[in-house]
Amino acid sequence: MSQPVADATDKHIPTSSSLLTRRSTYIHTAVAIISLLGLADATYLTIEHVTGQSVRCTVIAGCSEVLSSKYAVVGGFPLAMIGAAAYFSVFSLATLAAFGYRFATTLLNLSVAAMLLVSLWLVYLQAFVIGSFCQYCLFSAAITLMMAVLLLIRWRKP
Amino acid sequence: MKRILPFLIILSVLGVALGSAWYLKRASTNNTPPSANSDTPRPNIPALVAPGAEPAHTMGPVTAPVKLEEFGDFECPPCGQFHPVLKKMHEEFGDRLLVTFREFPLTAMHPHAVSAASAAEAAGLQGKFWEMHHMLYDNQKTWHEQFDVRPTFEGYAKQIGIDVERFKREINSDLVARRITEDGKRARSLNVGGTPTLFMNGREMPFEIIINEEKFRAAIKQELESAKR
Repeated sequence: MSQPVADATDKHIPTSSSLLTRRSTYIHTAVAIISLLGLADATYLTIEHVTGQSVRCTVIAGCSEVLSSKYAVVGGFPLAMIGAAAYFSVFSLATLAAFGYRFATTLLNLSVAAMLLVSLWLVYLQAFVIGSFCQYCLFSAAITLMMAVLLLIRWRKP
Repeated sequence: MKRILPFLIILSVLGVALGSAWYLKRASTNNTPPSANSDTPRPNIPALVAPGAEPAHTMGPVTAPVKLEEFGDFECPPCGQFHPVLKKMHEEFGDRLLVTFREFPLTAMHPHAVSAASAAEAAGLQGKFWEMHHMLYDNQKTWHEQFDVRPTFEGYAKQIGIDVERFKREINSDLVARRITEDGKRARSLNVGGTPTLFMNGREMPFEIIINEEKFRAAIKQELESAKR
C-alpha cells in the first residue's frame, strides 16, 4: 500500500495510485465535514421531537405535519435520533478512512448507500404520502445525496 | 500521535454533539422569558410586551392564582388536540384558573385560519366568543377540508344562538381584523414560535407537558402550591 506512494515521491512523478490515495483523503475529509452539518440538523430535530415542540404548528414552515406523522418514530425511537446516530457513524468512519483505515472505507460506502435509500424513501413519503415538506428533512436528504455523490466520484478511475 | 488523532477527533465531536443536545433540551424546557407576563392588561406590563386585544377573551376570575394564556390557531391540528385538555383543566380547577385565548392564525399553512379567527371574534362581539371557540375546535376536521367555510361558520353562529346577519356583517369588520392583529403583535413580542403556545403565569410551557393531561394537571397543582406560599 505505502510502497507505490514512496516510489512516486522519490521520482516526483505522481502515479495513479498515489493520486487515488490523495483524492480519497480529500474526499473522505469532505464527507466528514459535510456529515457534521447532517449531525447538527438531526440533533436539533431530535431535541425538538423530545420536547414536543416539533409537533406544534410552527411559524417558520409546515414541519409539524411531517414530524408529527407516524413515520417520524421508528420502533419507539424518534427517526431524527436514528439519523443523528447515522450521521455520527458516517463522521467517525469518514474520519478513520481519511486517516487511511481501509476497513472504514467499505463500511462508510455501505452506510452512505443505506442512508441514501432511506432518504429517498423519506422524500417520497413527504411528497406523496404526507403531502408536506419539512425543510430540515430535505436538508438532511441533500446532505446524504452530497456525501453519496462524493463517494461515487472517489470510485471513478482518474 | 497520528494513530490516536482520528479517535480524538471523533470523541471531541461526540462530546460537542451531546453537549449541544443537552444545552438545547435545557433551553427549551426552562423557557422563562423575563419580559413575559401573562397577567392580561395590567399597567405594570413591561413596555416591550404588546398587551394584545382588549378586552381579552377570558374564562375564570382575574384574581385566579394560576393564569393560563393560550396562543392558538383554530385550524392547527395540535391546537385541536390541546383544546379538550385545556377545557378539562378549566372544568376541574374552576375559579383557581384564569384562561385567556389569543388569536395567532398561521396563515402561511392554514388557508381558513384567519376566517376561523374572525368567526370567533365576530361571535365575541355578541358575547359568545367561547361558544364559537369550542364549536370551531370541536369541528376542526370538518371545516378544515372545505373549500368555502363561510356557510359552515354561519351555521355554527346559528347553532350558538347569535344574530347571524350581524355575524355576517361583523366577520369582515375592521374591529375584528384589529383584534386579531393586536393579539398577533402580542404573540410576536413574546416570541411565540408556533401554536399552541401556552404561558402559565408568564412562563412558556413545553408542549409535551400541556398535551399530556396528567403532566399538565401536575404542573398546575405545583403552580397553585407555589402561589399559596
